[in-house]
Amino acid sequence: MTRLNFRSAVLRGAMVSAMAVSLTASPLLAAPPVDLTKWSPEYVRSIAGTEEFDTTEACGKVTPLDYKGRLTFWYQGVFEGDPDLLRQYYKDFFETFRKSYPNIQLEEQALTYNDLLDKFRTALLGNAAPMAVRLQILGGTEFAAKGYLEPLKPEDVGYSAEDFWPGAMKAVTWDGVTYGIPTNNETMALIWNADIFKRAGLDADKPPATWDDVVTYSKQIHDKLGIAGYGLVARKNAGNTPYRFMPQLWGFGGGIFDEADASPKLNEIRLNSDASKRALQASYDMYVRDKSVPVSALTNQQADNQPLFVAGQLGMMISHPSDYNVMKDLQKKATGADKDKAQSVIDNMRYGLIPTGPDGRRAVVFGGSNIHILKPEYVEGGKVDELAAKAIVCFWSSPEWSLKMAYAGSNPGNLNGFKTKWMKTRLDDIKFLDVTTSMLPYGIPFPALPQAPEIMNIIVPDMLQNALTGAMTVDQAAEDAAKKVKDLMGGGGL
Amino acid sequence: MTMVTGEADTARQSRAVRSGLLRQMWISRTDYLYVLPAIVVMLIVIAYPIYYTVDLSFFKTPPGLQLKDKSFVGVDNYIAILTSDVFWRVTLNTVIWTLASTTIAFVLGFALALALHRDFFGRGMLRAIFIIPWVISAVAASYIWKWIYHSDFGIIGAMLVQMGLTDRPPNFIDSVGTVLPSLIVVNIWREFPFAMIMLMAGLQTVPEQLLRAAQVDGANTWQRFWHVTFPHLRGVSTVTILLLAVANFNSFIIPWIMTGGGPSNASHIWITHIYELAFGRQRWGVASAYSVLLFFILMTLGYFYVRALSSNERREPGA
Repeated sequence: MTRLNFRSAVLRGAMVSAMAVSLTASPLLAAPPVDLTKWSPEYVRSIAGTEEFDTTEACGKVTPLDYKGRLTFWYQGVFEGDPDLLRQYYKDFFETFRKSYPNIQLEEQALTYNDLLDKFRTALLGNAAPMAVRLQILGGTEFAAKGYLEPLKPEDVGYSAEDFWPGAMKAVTWDGVTYGIPTNNETMALIWNADIFKRAGLDADKPPATWDDVVTYSKQIHDKLGIAGYGLVARKNAGNTPYRFMPQLWGFGGGIFDEADASPKLNEIRLNSDASKRALQASYDMYVRDKSVPVSALTNQQADNQPLFVAGQLGMMISHPSDYNVMKDLQKKATGADKDKAQSVIDNMRYGLIPTGPDGRRAVVFGGSNIHILKPEYVEGGKVDELAAKAIVCFWSSPEWSLKMAYAGSNPGNLNGFKTKWMKTRLDDIKFLDVTTSMLPYGIPFPALPQAPEIMNIIVPDMLQNALTGAMTVDQAAEDAAKKVKDLMGGGGL
Repeated sequence: MTMVTGEADTARQSRAVRSGLLRQMWISRTDYLYVLPAIVVMLIVIAYPIYYTVDLSFFKTPPGLQLKDKSFVGVDNYIAILTSDVFWRVTLNTVIWTLASTTIAFVLGFALALALHRDFFGRGMLRAIFIIPWVISAVAASYIWKWIYHSDFGIIGAMLVQMGLTDRPPNFIDSVGTVLPSLIVVNIWREFPFAMIMLMAGLQTVPEQLLRAAQVDGANTWQRFWHVTFPHLRGVSTVTILLLAVANFNSFIIPWIMTGGGPSNASHIWITHIYELAFGRQRWGVASAYSVLLFFILMTLGYFYVRALSSNERREPGA
């Protein structure tokens, strides 16, 4: 393990220490308007549909509905792995916003998860950024730390900090100042094909309890049926990779730093710890030793696993509840015998909790997105229409739209979203939603550091690729990654 | 100060040349005015970015800070690059990529140009078919090839398995050993039509009388090609090879879309690595130093390109 210098460690530690606690320990699971200490699928059902919200009226108090202005806005939009249902909600959102604010000239641009950070950074360098942006949870701290974002807290758009997940609020906070508002928060689950389990001689209704079981099950599926057991993803520069590997890393007791601990200080690099190496070894065993995962894992993202799964060629994968809808979309597009085969896969689709590590530790990435307003000097034209920007921030982070824009794949950032009538409908519409809401308390946020995007999108996938291609041994790959993190935290490294 | 006669003569000649040059410029001042807007635009869009890149290459740009917070580090970025293992690996990849792509695309293009130069039924259609890879979008082509190569359900793999030639689909782009050759194949597929078109145009300039005269003198097909056709194509061949080499050094789309430089940096070439350093990892200073090195290499190729063009022009009046 590698130690960072004490001062920077204390600084970072102070900023993130409460984050993991906020999600895993009870004191922080006690914020209104919903009682997070009672969090369970039953509780979520009991509060759904208990309150009415009028978004237009609420946001009209922040920005008058007859306000005349102009707004440039970039957002992480839908991509190839999302269901059609979500595309419709995005369309509806912008239509409703334009109807509510007919005099705001909105120029929006959707970018995919994997493109957004690079493009946004480039625009910032040329002082050509949009006035407002919706970024993945990983990006907020980087841009806040660099001074690109205006302070923005929920109270500025008519909400309260307590309306949002405490852990999510920490992800938009840098140096004690809040720079954005969470729009949605998510945790994933394990998905498996019960028919494949049965044919492979496994219990069809019993998912792997531990990550070691995942390795065993994956091998058994592959050896018996000749298909891929587990949908490993190790592509570089793709958000899907850390979202699937970090639960494994944390489950084994490893981490980048100590971000999975109850009181993280981030003063110790743990990528080269024995626990982290065991997690990496599990991936190595599946990819190299057992050859029980897709060979294309190094260039795949989750969108590539979906066709494999619907074709009955993949036994298990980690993803959102929205994958059920994606499978239904794919089934509609299939023809002939493929259509029936896809339907059979959908009928056999099961969701379960993410497996634990050998010590019973269960973890999942607490993901999501935030919405921010930029400082005028970095915006094209040097001006930010603050009222127009606040209007869209208010709209997107409202109970209604923070839920609808996360309808199939995620959960509302605004906790009041769980109380809406749309949540009630959603619980009936979206199969397996209970599983992912049950995973929320196990959620661990990425370390809220400006360097986090490079660690998660480049260093971690590089480590996986170095080990899985045989370019390095598991030990070497872990040590190499730890050194890269150390160099990065020291401000350098190639 | 006393000047010796030789030095004085040289100084006088130099002054005369300068004043002559200035006089010439003054006489042609209207011409210079005409090209002034173009020069101004070039200074803005070419000269300034070059200056800025060179300047930035001497600064450290920590990834956690804004670019304006950079600090001067002299040639440290250059030293860091030249002493890095990754740099030499990426350089080797770039050399293999450029040499293999350029050579094979040129040879293939040349062979097809010769084949399609003769008149036969369906020649026009074949020409059109062969040009397709060059005219379709490189982005679209990259995605198509990614699926063709897919290690689990790619078309090539499926065919090989169905024909019983292999148990499992071959691993084209998920293996450090095969990824670069696989990408080079795609690049050659994209580029050979360019060489073919250039050389087909060159073949039009080979005098028919000379070929007939050689035939009358008893020269066989190979002798006619080697002693008549090929010398006439030397100029266009040089230009084609240089253009292909420059394009290959600058390749980005195919490796970036298909593999993003992976797995394990096995398909990173200079441009993709520079892009990742700059836009993915925000090492603007190091990326700039990389770019400066690449700039000098490309300028060298550019010099030979211009020289080849000039020698062609000189040869043509007497050809």
